[in-house]
Amino acid sequence: MSHEPASEGEREFEHRTRTLLLESADGLSGAQRSRLTRARHAALAAHRDRAPLRARGWMGAGAAAAAVLVALLVLVPHPGGAPVTAVAGGAVDDLELLAEGDAVPLNEDQDVDYDFYEWAANEAGTGTEAAPSVGS
Amino acid sequence: MLVFATLPAGSADLSRSGKSHLRDSTKDGARALEAFLAGVERKAFRIAQIALRHEADALDVVQDSMLQLAHRYADKPEAEWKPLFYRILENRIRDVQRRRMVRNRVMAWMPWRADDEEEQPDLIEQAADLSPQPPAQLESAEILQALERALADLPARQRQAFLLRNFEGLDVAETAAAMQCSQGSVKTHYFRALQALRVSLGEFWK
Repeated sequence: MSHEPASEGEREFEHRTRTLLLESADGLSGAQRSRLTRARHAALAAHRDRAPLRARGWMGAGAAAAAVLVALLVLVPHPGGAPVTAVAGGAVDDLELLAEGDAVPLNEDQDVDYDFYEWAANEAGTGTEAAPSVGS
Repeated sequence: MLVFATLPAGSADLSRSGKSHLRDSTKDGARALEAFLAGVERKAFRIAQIALRHEADALDVVQDSMLQLAHRYADKPEAEWKPLFYRILENRIRDVQRRRMVRNRVMAWMPWRADDEEEQPDLIEQAADLSPQPPAQLESAEILQALERALADLPARQRQAFLLRNFEGLDVAETAAAMQCSQGSVKTHYFRALQALRVSLGEFWK
């Protein structure tokens, strides 16, 4: 089945019907035109009234989303338990101790008084022993 | 709060320009919508009038369709407005036809009320225009009446396809979008409408 106009007659028919209908649309009465104009203005008024509400709605949604985000960042605990800043601070302290000039020398070739350090460790643990003489 | 206090002085201007931009875009949208509605309103009214054969109902249907387009779909791209508008219009036409059908059924059970509540046609509106008219104008008015009758007698989908394609000038894709069917269906409905109208109007088309 062909759906396209097959003949000159069909094309002519389409053209005449279209012309007739267009003329009838152009020839509406004043009352009909007036009523259509009023209908159009009512639709445009509805559109204008709705536009600020829509913008306000988007701003409200944005503010709510931001508030939820901030609340999540503040209230939800971090997985490690301790704050990240504390861990980072401890690591920095260790590095400073190692870098100090009077830090414990870890090289075995140097003359180290191990007894003193052992006593100091015990003293810190029990606090009862007397101090050994340095160099014994 | 400190952040807001240290915003540069120009930020107020930015905020103002943002608001004016919003206002301008809203105005542009309203202007585009007005131009669109002004461009389709007469054809839409004629389509509704042919389908419903009632002027006041047709005007109501067009107004409802305009309101719904403005209320729900004004944010859509302009290219989509026409198929959307005619889809809404056809739905409204169908609603009115359904209501009439239900009312007629109910009235059939209440014959004592049917005569009282049946809408009487406006006799002045229905009266023939007796002012002298040139023969060509008279003939074309007669042909138009015959065409309207033939269109109203078509199945709804054929009438819709014919009026949207031929009268409103939508292409096949837009018509399919408006009718919510495939492009092949549009072609079939249109072809059948064309054949039926040619048969109906044969005597006027010499």
